[in-house]
Amino acid sequence: MPLETDKNDFEASLKPVWMRAQQGDEAAYREALEKIASRIRGFLRWRMQAMPDEIEDLVQETLLALHLQRGTFDPGMPVSAWVTAIARHKLVDLWRRRGRRDNRHDALDDVDEELLVAEPAEDGAQRDLDRLLRELPEVQRQAIVLTKIEGLSVSEAAMQTGISESAIKVQVHRGLKRLAQWVKDTGS
Amino acid sequence: MKTQLFIELLAKRAGPAPRAPVLQRMAPAVAAGLFVSALFALISMGSIPAAMYETPAPWMKLIYGASLALAAGWLTARLSRPVARTRWPVLAVLAVFAVMLGLGFLTWMVAAPEQRMAALFGDTWLTCPRNVVVLSLPALAGALWAVRGLAPTQLTAAGFNAGLMAGALGAMGYALVCPEVSAAFVAVWYSLGILLTGLLGAFLGPRLLRW
Repeated sequence: MPLETDKNDFEASLKPVWMRAQQGDEAAYREALEKIASRIRGFLRWRMQAMPDEIEDLVQETLLALHLQRGTFDPGMPVSAWVTAIARHKLVDLWRRRGRRDNRHDALDDVDEELLVAEPAEDGAQRDLDRLLRELPEVQRQAIVLTKIEGLSVSEAAMQTGISESAIKVQVHRGLKRLAQWVKDTGS
Repeated sequence: MKTQLFIELLAKRAGPAPRAPVLQRMAPAVAAGLFVSALFALISMGSIPAAMYETPAPWMKLIYGASLALAAGWLTARLSRPVARTRWPVLAVLAVFAVMLGLGFLTWMVAAPEQRMAALFGDTWLTCPRNVVVLSLPALAGALWAVRGLAPTQLTAAGFNAGLMAGALGAMGYALVCPEVSAAFVAVWYSLGILLTGLLGAFLGPRLLRW
């Protein structure tokens, strides 16, 4: 992936892909999330120099948050601004959990956007998906494993489990939400 | 877990984006808040005499409360999203305050000098703001619950406006039991109660609206 250094270039390359993703194009959604992940990584690396080990965790937490809240995106606004607002929100929340209020002001001042170079390199996050999934109620875990890991369609998953398609969707959403909450509360 | 793998997981079978349930959350909070506030006001303080509804006084208060609740609710709904376009709803909120303050000031100016004190303070200026705040609390709880389930990122602003909306709903409840008739009284003491509820919301926002 080429390095995106300019804010407008980034927005121009992301917006059409993002809009297709919002319509339900899965490949476009994957591509958009990849672009966004490397953007957030750059954003956070700049601000989390004191805790580099936690950058990737927060990248994933932000991705999960924006996945759960993607219905709140307003097509009249830039995607990059929406993404940045969520990443900043998650960062402030992390500092609050860590009691690092003193850091908030200088690091949150607007930095030159030119400096927000994307960071394609990544390490894995410290969290382990299997361990997280075990925390979920069985019905939510099953819905996530079937659709999100084994890749069954919602109707296939509904047939296999004997619960309705809308119930599968609800359980996936609830399960992801619960994971987000759990990760947030334990901070690990 | 590798982030790449996590992205695969999120994207797989994700389907189209769901619509954010802004109205579905705000509407019940508003309806329940208004209902509880009116009920509590009527039970604890007793309704104003029915004849008063033939005068403009209670209607002025109800229209003020409803307009402000609408404008502040609009702004709160906007602030429930990560990037908010707030210009028009902010102007709407300011316009409602400006009209009420202007109306209060005009009626106060045309009042005879010896009646001005009575027009401004009435008999109940000490208790009015407090009652408005207390009657706003159910709506405030509902409004914060509604916003919390969405995705606000400016938590103080979102809390403040949720508070303004709740304050306006509480003022509507209080209008059913308040004996005052002067616009100047409403402009000052109702607005004070509403602003205090807003400040309470601004205080609670960063504490309760995290997600």
